[in-house]
Amino acid sequence: MAAIATVAQVTTPGPAAAWASERRRPVLDQDIQLIERCLGGEEAAWEDLVKIHTRRVYAICCRFTSSDQEAQDLTQDVFLRVFRSLKSFRAGEGSFTVWLARLTRNLLIDHYRRSKLERATDSIEEQLPMIEDTRAMSARADGMLAGREASEVLQGALRKLSPELRETVILRDLEELEYREIAQVLNVPEGTVKSRLNRGRAELARILRKQKVAI
Amino acid sequence: MTPESLYCSDVEILLAEYVDGTLTSEAKQALESHLSSCAECRELAEDAAAAVAFLSRTAALEAPPELVTRILFQVPSVKPSLTRRLFGRILGEWLEPVLQPRLVMGMGAAALSFFMLQPQVRQLTPSDLDPVKVWTFAENRVNRVWERGVKSYENIRLVYEIQTRLNEWQQEAPEAQSQGPSVEAPQQDFK
Repeated sequence: MAAIATVAQVTTPGPAAAWASERRRPVLDQDIQLIERCLGGEEAAWEDLVKIHTRRVYAICCRFTSSDQEAQDLTQDVFLRVFRSLKSFRAGEGSFTVWLARLTRNLLIDHYRRSKLERATDSIEEQLPMIEDTRAMSARADGMLAGREASEVLQGALRKLSPELRETVILRDLEELEYREIAQVLNVPEGTVKSRLNRGRAELARILRKQKVAI
Repeated sequence: MTPESLYCSDVEILLAEYVDGTLTSEAKQALESHLSSCAECRELAEDAAAAVAFLSRTAALEAPPELVTRILFQVPSVKPSLTRRLFGRILGEWLEPVLQPRLVMGMGAAALSFFMLQPQVRQLTPSDLDPVKVWTFAENRVNRVWERGVKSYENIRLVYEIQTRLNEWQQEAPEAQSQGPSVEAPQQDFK
């Protein structure tokens, strides 16, 4: 029963999710207006669109690649692609956020395939015993991590997740997309999203525990 | 939904919403009952909840401020180009690649050079079309080109050397005939 109590502690923010979806509605309208103005040739609208969405695209790329530089390059590529294909966006077929996330994902897949060789080398290096890591682990065991420190630890743990689980966790738990939206981005049924999310979260918890991080 | 009717495969679907706190009270009750009796699902639920708790404590990533500037700088203007404004949307779209500033400047420079370098041409008169005049002009022209060609050919060093050597051999040939066979020529027989 104690275990259920622990789970229940985390599951309390029920109305928050509903409020988040309500809060997103004006943002959708704002996006559509901005896109229409962009297509009309208004420079300021394009600037606003970039300013509003850069953080999200950068965060998805950075969490997925674990590299600031790669995330910056990818974000630039994403917006270049957005600029070229903005005409193909149809407001009736889904929100701009979903369209943008799908575009970002496509570029991330390309990047993932390209960097396969580098990752193979990295994984060999990761298997080597590292003295610095064990020191860091003992420091982490002292208390609960939060903020930037937790963010750095998370970065390393996310790298160890499979790309499918990683992207689902990022989109849901870090970028707070709804299940329906994630299903549209990944082009899979909602049930698959939920199943991947459960596995991704559980796997992440195991990885963090293995690193002796108090969670 | 009764606890008995819930299978582990159902938990996989319900758990995400349960951890997010968006599950209906009835489904929540059924799920909690299943979790209290199934250790495997309970472990999955605990891990998922712990990960969500940890993720909520992490700081949100902020994009570097200069990134927005770089994006805005790399993307060309969204304003319709001068070509599109002048020639309309459809025709402008066709002409836009041709009327790029670089290309237009290059074409302008080429035209300017052509007009500056063109030779002064006298206006043609009907008397210029007289067949005799045309024939004389053409013959002169052909002769001049032929002579110039021959002179250039003879002036080539290699041709000059070959001709000199040929002349020398021609002069040496009659002398050799009077002296008998050359010592350098191979002997046909020892016998």
